[in-house]
Amino acid sequence: MKKIVFPVLMVVVVLLAACGGKTAAPASGEPVAITFSAWGAPEELAVWKQIVSDFEAANPGIKVNVEVSDWDAYWDKLKTQLAANTPPDVFAMDAPLFLDYQTRGVLANLQPYIDKNPDMLKDVYPQTLEAYKTADGYYGMPRDFQTIVLFYNKDMFDAAGVAYPTADWTWDDLRAAAKKLTLDTNGDGTIEQYGFVFDQWDMEPGWSQALWSHGGDVISTDHTKTLVGEPASRKGWQTLYDMVFVDKSSPDANTIGQYGLDLFQAKIAAMTPLGHWVVPGYNEAGFAYDAAPMPAGEAGHATSVNSAGFVVADASKNQEAAFEFIKYVMSEKGQTRLTELGFAIPILKSVAESPVFLEQKGSDLNQQVFLDSLAFSHMKPVFKGYDEWAAVVGDGMGAVWRGEAELGKTLDEIVPLADEVLAKNK
Amino acid sequence: MDAGIKPLGKEKITLWLMLAPTLLGLVIGVLGSIVATVALSFTHWDLLTPPTWAGLENYAALFNDAKLWLALTNTIKFSLLYVPAVVIVSMFIAILLNRKIRGVSVFRTIYFLPAVTSAVATALVWNMIYGKDTGILNFIIEKLGGQGVCWLCTDNVLVALIIVNVWGTVGEGMIIFLAGLTAIPKEYYEASQLDGAGGSSQFFRITLPLVTPSIFFMTLIATINAFQAYDYIYMLTRRGHGDSSFPVVVYSIYRNAWNFFNYGGASAQAIELALFVIILMGFYLWLEKRYVVYE
Amino acid sequence: MNRKQQKAFLDFVTYVLLIIGAVIMMGPFLWMVSTSFKLPADQFTRTLIPPTWTLQNFKELFGVDINFVLLFFNSVYISVLITIGTLFTCSMAAFCFAVVKFRGRNTLFVILLITLMIPAQVTLIPNFIVFKYLGVVGTSIPLWLPAFMGGAFGIFLMRQYFLTIPKDFVDAARMDGASLFQIFWKIYMPLAKPALAALAIFTFQGAWNDLLHPLVYMPAVPNTTLTVGLAFFQQQLTTGGKFTVLMAGALISILPLVIVFFFAQKQFIEGISLSGVKR
Repeated sequence: MKKIVFPVLMVVVVLLAACGGKTAAPASGEPVAITFSAWGAPEELAVWKQIVSDFEAANPGIKVNVEVSDWDAYWDKLKTQLAANTPPDVFAMDAPLFLDYQTRGVLANLQPYIDKNPDMLKDVYPQTLEAYKTADGYYGMPRDFQTIVLFYNKDMFDAAGVAYPTADWTWDDLRAAAKKLTLDTNGDGTIEQYGFVFDQWDMEPGWSQALWSHGGDVISTDHTKTLVGEPASRKGWQTLYDMVFVDKSSPDANTIGQYGLDLFQAKIAAMTPLGHWVVPGYNEAGFAYDAAPMPAGEAGHATSVNSAGFVVADASKNQEAAFEFIKYVMSEKGQTRLTELGFAIPILKSVAESPVFLEQKGSDLNQQVFLDSLAFSHMKPVFKGYDEWAAVVGDGMGAVWRGEAELGKTLDEIVPLADEVLAKNK
Repeated sequence: MDAGIKPLGKEKITLWLMLAPTLLGLVIGVLGSIVATVALSFTHWDLLTPPTWAGLENYAALFNDAKLWLALTNTIKFSLLYVPAVVIVSMFIAILLNRKIRGVSVFRTIYFLPAVTSAVATALVWNMIYGKDTGILNFIIEKLGGQGVCWLCTDNVLVALIIVNVWGTVGEGMIIFLAGLTAIPKEYYEASQLDGAGGSSQFFRITLPLVTPSIFFMTLIATINAFQAYDYIYMLTRRGHGDSSFPVVVYSIYRNAWNFFNYGGASAQAIELALFVIILMGFYLWLEKRYVVYE
Repeated sequence: MNRKQQKAFLDFVTYVLLIIGAVIMMGPFLWMVSTSFKLPADQFTRTLIPPTWTLQNFKELFGVDINFVLLFFNSVYISVLITIGTLFTCSMAAFCFAVVKFRGRNTLFVILLITLMIPAQVTLIPNFIVFKYLGVVGTSIPLWLPAFMGGAFGIFLMRQYFLTIPKDFVDAARMDGASLFQIFWKIYMPLAKPALAALAIFTFQGAWNDLLHPLVYMPAVPNTTLTVGLAFFQQQLTTGGKFTVLMAGALISILPLVIVFFFAQKQFIEGISLSGVKR
């Protein structure tokens, strides 16, 4: 056995040494090739290819290779590539996760490039830039953003004779309407239509709004204390809890599981808080719908603003070319193309407040409401350890939404565990 | 089992040539999987920055991690039910299909179908079937006069998962047992019939002992699969953003490695999982020496 | 009851049991087929026959501009390569473990089994780094090259089967002066057809349905395998609860394997009854 293992090992070692990392530096005059990786739906692949070809036409020295995957696949592949130090040159970033990557040194500092382009950020909504700013400059740039609004199914409202939501609605108004819209349509004892549904795990489409508008908060500004268990926050949780278990106008976790993840699109629920990313899918689903601002609690209106951005890998050998691509996507031409996709809101005020965004085809959705919501929106928290912290809260609350645990006690248990994650990541 | 051919002279070269590809794979595989995993389990690694030494911290954390304990108990409960179920059911089906009846090919295809199809695809159908208000299973039960049950709720989810997993893998066991059953020479049955032996005597004296190699194989494979079961379980119990209402250890490993930037901890969990199976395997090997019959 | 009546009765019982089992086995697939032909509005109707038949779900799948042909072709050639490599190298190694005496045989075998016990999610990164140094990331090589280096499952399966072959054959062959390799190729391999068939089916199926490895090693859609491509679509559909389209997609992903299996089992497994007679 020894006689065989040693020569085999030698072969392996020699192979490893011989094929050691060669990086091909392009000969001058040849176009620079960069890779851009993003998550998205299959429809988005076609549009990105379009944007890329426009970009390449305007920048003949740069070739962009676009790769789009679904959300789970995207992060798996990205982390594998980063671990082996072969990341894409420029890749998409979800704002809350930004610090997890930036603090680990895998992102390039974009500030030097931005300083060379002083007008770049003039027209950008400041709320979208917040997430990517660090003490020594920007390590990422936003690409588009989302504000959460209340979608409602006009057909269901008409059928039940309930007035549409308005900009003055409070959570009490919402609860009352939801009760009227919860129906057992064929009298068999099970509810076929719910008044209201919200994401029971992710804070963005629902519970962060409930907490904020009741005066509570999610996490302290220095990211050391979890605030979901504070008295004002608990009032927000209680409102949601009562809608599910007292009013029964919102389905519990076991019921939701049968219908896929978006009950509004499946026409099971009459109202839901979500962002612009659902619009293309809803347009296809073929029912009459519109959107209103999130309702107000004692502390007024509140909603969530979040952006998808992009970052350049520190290991990239083509950072300048990568930045040129970013600059293009953030320009009016790039933003116009992206807006036509319909999944998000452009970061440039000039594009957002123009017919390109406000009069999108496909529905008579009130697009203005997305922009108006900026006035009372809180940024979705961005901090190191976001995924793990969110899992502690989301998983913990899972038992509550399955009807297996008490709300108050669960919050008491979750908060210290969540704080532990924060402490670990200081 | 310790008998065998002794290679003579130049045949030793043939021997090593035949083993060479496997040895190469073993070296890289052993280096790649076992050694690397063990090594990484002593580090803190977030995938993005170089690993740092952690000593035994990851292993100590195994005892404090409440989520891991839950995942571990779930995995063990699942395996205890799944392994006997799948071994017995697939052996039973193989015995039935080994008889000389017409239409065997059709039945074989039907029984193997679930094993051939991807778990992700079929789990989607089962999710629909198990729906408490919308699913066809409860519909059929109610039509037969019974009470529909919430299959995927915590009370019943274990049974529901066992059903789906056995359904999905019984075809593999069937093939293995069929191959093993046909290796039993027909002469034995003919001879015993001449001696007046009846069906059940034939089964316990001929079939069962001679099929023990397949039982051993299937039990070990089923155990390994049970401890690593992931696809069906996750697809049926997931609740948005990677959460699951029936977490198992592989699920915890995945989340730690890929979501929590805790690759070292995930490696430690993987080693813990492997140790469980290795201990069981040792037990099976001991049983093999005592009970498995090779001609 | 005489022997003939006894057999007839047992046959009857066998049929009844097999048919009940078959209904359970096929039920979900019938449901899958049925749902994929239903209108989205009907997706929760509890009838097996769609109230209205429609092809729109399939149209929606193929409507998206993705090169299904390339995805399919990749899946096919990769799975075939993996199957060939596995069959060949595993049976050679299994023969050595089952039949040949050499020092360290049992230890080596146990180490082999242990490699089966570490989940792929964890071995992925070390393997990825090795392949990165070999410069083959971005191709399909990392997917099929390991198949040519033996695999614990295949070796285990073939070894178990080889162990059931009586040693008398070997002794007789030895007396006729056969070499080790001849014994392997001329005696053991022909007798092992059922096990080879089983291994081929398992390996092909495992390779075809693998999601993790093509995901990280091959470039993105469309230059990847069918499983990755389908996962790409399923995300959207699951969120939106478009079960009819999901079922149509699932059906498409299953079809090639079913066809392959149907032909394979006719070709190979019929050898099972033949090999029994030969002995």
